Amino acid sequence: MPSVRQSRASAVVGALSCLALLGTACSGGGTSGSSATKGVKINVALAIPAPPKASLDAFTKATGITVNWTNIDWDSLQTKIAAGATAKTYFADATDVDWSRVGQLGKLNWFYPMETYVDTKSLTADMPQLASFTIGGHVVGIPFDASFLVTTVNTKMFTKAGVTKMPTTIDQYTQDLKQIKAKGGVQYPLNIPFAAAEGLSTYWYQTTAAFGGTILDGQGKPQFATPGSPGYKAAQWMVDALKQGLVPPGNINVSDSQGQQTLMAQGQVASTFGDYSGNIGSLYDVPAASKVVHQVDYLATPGVTGPGPNMSNPDGIGIPRTAKYPAAAAKFIQWFTSAANQADFAGLNGPDKALKSYNFPSRLTAVDQLATKGKLVKGSALSAMLKSSARPVFPAGAPSWYPQFSNSVYTNLHSAATGSLSVDAAIKAIAATANRLASGG
Amino acid sequence: MSEGQLDAPPVTASADGPAGKRRRRFDPLPYLLVSPLALFIIALALVPAAFTIIESFFRVDALDPPTRFIGLGNFRRLFGDHVVLTSAENTLIYVLIGVGLSTVLGIAMAITLQHKFAGRSALIAILILPWALPGVVEGIVWSGIWNANTGLLNSVLTSLHMVDHYHVFLGQHRWRTIALIELVQVWQITPLSALLVLASLQNIPGDLYEAARLDGCSPWAAFRRITLPLARPGVAVAMVQAVIATLNVFDQPYVLNGAASTGSSVMVQTYFISFQNLDFGEGYALSLLITLATLAMSFCVVKLVYRTVEY
Amino acid sequence: MAVRTRRRIRARWFGVAFIVLWSLVPIYWTINTSLQTEAQAGSKPAHYVPPTPTLAHYVSLLGDSGELPDQIRRSTINILIECSAATIITVLLSTLAAYAFARMTFRGRNVLFYTVLATMAFPAYTTLIPLYRILGDFGLVNTYTGIVLVYVSGFLPLATWIMYNYLTSLPAAIEEAGQVDGASRMQVLWYVLLPLALPGIVSTAIITFLFSWTQFLFPLVLSTDLSTQPLTVVVQALQGQHVVPTTLLSAAGVIAIAVPAVIGLTLNRYIVSGLLTGSVK
Repeated sequence: MPSVRQSRASAVVGALSCLALLGTACSGGGTSGSSATKGVKINVALAIPAPPKASLDAFTKATGITVNWTNIDWDSLQTKIAAGATAKTYFADATDVDWSRVGQLGKLNWFYPMETYVDTKSLTADMPQLASFTIGGHVVGIPFDASFLVTTVNTKMFTKAGVTKMPTTIDQYTQDLKQIKAKGGVQYPLNIPFAAAEGLSTYWYQTTAAFGGTILDGQGKPQFATPGSPGYKAAQWMVDALKQGLVPPGNINVSDSQGQQTLMAQGQVASTFGDYSGNIGSLYDVPAASKVVHQVDYLATPGVTGPGPNMSNPDGIGIPRTAKYPAAAAKFIQWFTSAANQADFAGLNGPDKALKSYNFPSRLTAVDQLATKGKLVKGSALSAMLKSSARPVFPAGAPSWYPQFSNSVYTNLHSAATGSLSVDAAIKAIAATANRLASGG
Repeated sequence: MSEGQLDAPPVTASADGPAGKRRRRFDPLPYLLVSPLALFIIALALVPAAFTIIESFFRVDALDPPTRFIGLGNFRRLFGDHVVLTSAENTLIYVLIGVGLSTVLGIAMAITLQHKFAGRSALIAILILPWALPGVVEGIVWSGIWNANTGLLNSVLTSLHMVDHYHVFLGQHRWRTIALIELVQVWQITPLSALLVLASLQNIPGDLYEAARLDGCSPWAAFRRITLPLARPGVAVAMVQAVIATLNVFDQPYVLNGAASTGSSVMVQTYFISFQNLDFGEGYALSLLITLATLAMSFCVVKLVYRTVEY
Repeated sequence: MAVRTRRRIRARWFGVAFIVLWSLVPIYWTINTSLQTEAQAGSKPAHYVPPTPTLAHYVSLLGDSGELPDQIRRSTINILIECSAATIITVLLSTLAAYAFARMTFRGRNVLFYTVLATMAFPAYTTLIPLYRILGDFGLVNTYTGIVLVYVSGFLPLATWIMYNYLTSLPAAIEEAGQVDGASRMQVLWYVLLPLALPGIVSTAIITFLFSWTQFLFPLVLSTDLSTQPLTVVVQALQGQHVVPTTLLSAAGVIAIAVPAVIGLTLNRYIVSGLLTGSVK
């Protein structure tokens, strides 16, 4: 927020700039949005492809709202949301509210409280994840999927290498991967997205959970700093896997959402430890995009002594304060997160209505519809995980300083992977960052 | 964006027509002519630069309001952040490789073009082509050469049996990554270096070489005793523009290697600190340091290299 | 003697070959990749010429409908508007200012002149963050105006410098003849000086246009959506958007370099003279 001194300087600059303006009209920032809905065109920016054109057309017909869809990669999208909010510039009417950003957004008030537009009280029972998007009594965004991290395995490759019984612990899992490599089935069987981006952080959270630990305690203090701790072991395991040649060397530049899944879909790796729920149905079993149709299966997360938990990372959608048409955006969000649409996106009524790379409905009613119709690929396995083992990464909610923390996680783990830092030094640096941020430094 | 230019010329007081009486009367015309330029420079260069200097001593953080004075706090945090320190090291290597290589190649290309021959102007057109292209697209162009699965380099090396399998060239080994990224920038900045050196060479009188040859000088000796010393002004300016470009390198590492510490430059860090972490104060502090480093290095280059020689 | 000349010619041809390969091989490789199918581009060893040249990638980028062609088309319009506007304004303002500096004396002239030159020595990125926040305060982020203002402020010093040098190289006697005829100073500028300084104006315009075209970090920060994003930003974003195959990405790269490459190859005389006037004095 500009201080007085700054505004005065800006005012001087402004006067000068306006003189220098050569008659171009400029739309002022910070104007309040319009409540119009009929006949308006809204921009929706998310890190997923657009819903099928027919569905969007039906929405336009019913409401008079035209939707312009922008699909931006997740990391760039977060930068844009932040940049737009700080410069008070419009960039979308509805955009991504990631589970990890809820703490930060609650503090910054960058988004409209959704409870003023949507009856969130009645949604609570049908949307278990809604709690993760509520902070200080306000709902920042509506979860549109119930994504959680799972382990995917290419069963054909495992069987071919002589693995008869699927692994339930990390040790067995690592052993099996080595066996696959040795038998020459796949040169680099394990998928880890080591590019310095959010996906690397997410993968580490899931691996830490599998090793039986958490990342931060309720006060935001690091739980991974000592060499015996699960987080430390998880980082060591990931870096060792790369060093032992279990992970493709090129993965040092591969990020999660696209690169990692492509390797799996092309059959270049045998397993992804921290994959996204729903990828089998929306990608690996889609003949047009995959060479491993009907070969991939979900595996209960290999843990210390048996199956471990699955970290949930639901995606939400909200209305930024700079939106031009908040009311129209709210209408769109209601439609986008409705039970019928979620079921369609997940493939209830065939591939024509499905949304590519959609993970898993956030509404229980939609999940039940899919399960009873048997339309959810590997639905029973997913439902079981969702009910019994899905956990939030931060039980106390994502801290408001999460973005800086994550930035430290992925840059340091990436450095450890390239060998420019030891795992120990990387963990120490991440822990120091967490301590500094938690103490408000 | 800006061309390095440190030694401004003397502004020659030129005749203003028969302006004896005009000097006593106030003459508004020149002020009208320069006022748009002055406005732009003040509003969009000097004021922002003042902001950078002043606010680098403030905590300006969208996630941690309000804006408040913290003295050297931003600088302290920068020097305590090993990611920033790593990127500073990387940048130093970018500068060394970039300035060295672009200068050597620039001199070599300039000597190739020194004397007239058929097709020289066509060659100059080809020479400046890389300079005219956007750096970010050059990153994409060269990623096709370094690519681990489809790259030209892998293909050629494999065909020559110099490697037995396709390699990942970028992002694994820090020095290799930096060298290859910098090569892409050298591709972009060398044409200007070559032109600047060439301009200096064009001023060398041909009879100097003739005299040297009659004295029995070898071509190598003529190059060392005549060409290099007389090309110094051009080489100096070429090196200054290379210093400015390499110290501020952003497009190529950003496109080819993203946020990864194996190739991140200080400018990439400034971008992430400011626009991802929204810690503008720290961003200001870092860009201030980059500017100071740029000025200091440019000054050193001029002091060491620039000498005009009378002939 | 003969041996030496032969050796020198051989050395020159080696240099010529190096310059040609150095400049053209990367561009050739991109074009080559863009004309292949995904499968052909993935073959090991690579195809050094496209086995079955196809324009499919260009069609899918420039075709009639779809998200990608829309983005490419819109951002091409954006970059042309931004570069042209920045070029016109820069040339106009720098010519006027250079005329004052070259031909008139006035109070504060030297201070202003040296200040303008000093800003050239500063890396432009220094002012990126404050510019972003100042423009944000005025609602100029993500507008053509904001981007053009920033470009103009960045390129004005160099343009003024180039124009100043062209104007001072013209003998003063030419204008004096005009002034004796009773023409005003602006008429002298318009009818006498500008026609003579035309090469300088063309140089300034081309260099400004090319500099604007190569911008990336400023528009990356200052334009937040497709309404103002230039082609360069959109092409770069393709990399992260989906796994865009290298073939398609190469085609996008070729589209983004076509205009500056043509300018560079055809108008290089003006570029060379402008750059040299701008940096060696």
